[in-house]
Amino acid sequence: MGQTTSFRVKVQRFASAIQKNKYINSVSNGLSSILPVILGGAIFTLIDTINIPAYQTFLVNTGLKALTEIPPMITIDLLALYAVFAIAYTTATQFKSDAFSAGVVALMSFFIVTPLGVLSDEATLALSYQWLGSTGLFVAILIGVLIGRLSTLIIDNGYYIKMPKGVPPTIEKSFAALTPAFMAIILMLMVRGIFELTPFGNIHEFIYTLVQVPLVNLGGSWWAYLIVVFVMSLLWFFGIHGTIVVMGVILPIWTSLRLENLEAYQAGVELPHTIAGGAFFMTYTAIGGTGATIGLAVLLLMAKSKRYKTLGKLAIVPGLTGINEPIMFGVPLVLNMKLLIPLIVAPLATSIIAMLATTIGLVEPLRGIGVPLGTPIFINGFLEGGWRVPILQLVLLLVSLALFYPFFRSLDREALLVEQGEDPEVAADKAAKASNA
Amino acid sequence: MSKRILLACAGGFSTSMLVEKMKEEVKKRGEDVFIDACSESKITENLPADIIMLGPQMGHIEDEVKDLVNNEVPVTTIDMADYGMMNGEKVLDVALELINNG
Repeated sequence: MGQTTSFRVKVQRFASAIQKNKYINSVSNGLSSILPVILGGAIFTLIDTINIPAYQTFLVNTGLKALTEIPPMITIDLLALYAVFAIAYTTATQFKSDAFSAGVVALMSFFIVTPLGVLSDEATLALSYQWLGSTGLFVAILIGVLIGRLSTLIIDNGYYIKMPKGVPPTIEKSFAALTPAFMAIILMLMVRGIFELTPFGNIHEFIYTLVQVPLVNLGGSWWAYLIVVFVMSLLWFFGIHGTIVVMGVILPIWTSLRLENLEAYQAGVELPHTIAGGAFFMTYTAIGGTGATIGLAVLLLMAKSKRYKTLGKLAIVPGLTGINEPIMFGVPLVLNMKLLIPLIVAPLATSIIAMLATTIGLVEPLRGIGVPLGTPIFINGFLEGGWRVPILQLVLLLVSLALFYPFFRSLDREALLVEQGEDPEVAADKAAKASNA
Repeated sequence: MSKRILLACAGGFSTSMLVEKMKEEVKKRGEDVFIDACSESKITENLPADIIMLGPQMGHIEDEVKDLVNNEVPVTTIDMADYGMMNGEKVLDVALELINNG
């Protein structure tokens, strides 16, 4: 027990180190804050693209099509612009400096390093969409963090022009406030100039080819995904919100994965990723909550002991919407060796089954809508990939149920014996024997 | 002035369930207590509070939250069993005890 406790403390330190990391925090808070914009675009992608001929004819004939195609174009396709502002804002907030001006300066910086072009009339200056969507996401993250941090450094260390004595302090302050923007312009012009000398031509091409694509492909691989899922369950075992800790690190990659699917869906081409980042996670892996506990929620409802039955009634509705804290702490799954195996195995199993089903074409890759947490199971699946996905989710529910059943049956028997007045230790013994028999 | 209890977890989802249970208890007792839930990243925006209670899954950031409020109000992590069973009565007791004697 002593060993478990000290290991637990280590795990807690590790989790808290990740969550305390201001940069990881800034990026994940920034990306989270633009979720409403992404979701707005995603919903309209659905409205615009749903493949029912009569409906599409209706959209075209009424002229509505010209309207429904707009939201995706100004949300998902311009995602990097929202991201760079939001991340600079959250970074500056973390470092306690003027967040709003950091956001504005970051947006300007992003434009400086983004290539401009001219329309075919050879007169109108234009900004291409090429790097403003998910392709520009990593540059947006880098610039957001850099500018958010830079403005704090400049102000805190007094890297600005000092006024002679007698000049009203307000004047010095207003000049100080100009410094971050000015330094950002110079810095970004240097970046732009340097990259124009390379074969890449601009920083976007460079980061996208050498960082974003490899990282996203790695993050979208089966192994990387399964490791992420495993770590989440393990952290939950130690009572730590593993999902949010790991998500902080993986969010940029998962966001790219699902947005690339969403953009492909919008364009009507084949969806590139089997594992559509967070959409895949919410639909298949965290079915009923992290640990794929939906089956356990159903088992609780059918429990013979009063204790688990009561918990089941409490846990089933949140469980159907992907929230399982009552189960995690109520059964509990936390620090409970008896349920460690299904806690680890169930989400891996549901993920692998879903990967296989997607690969062999039983279901389409998910669209990457990223329906918000709290959207009920089956509905989220339907929105993400049509009517076949809820059927797969039902199968996964049964898989989760089957994996938790042998372990839970013994716990339930034990609880029932205790309720009937048996000594807890004797009850544990009896329950263990009965399940071995 | 009424007492303010703030519960925080990852997204504010599960704590909001507990808040409902606690509010029922407050109503039963006829006390003057305001209770709210938020996500851990939004704690600052939801201040002031007389006590901040973290969901056990966020217990690992307790020290950080203490720093955030400069130790001016008690910060505590809710007991796992009470949290799991959504025991509003017990959690409310703990909160009031800490506000009064913390």
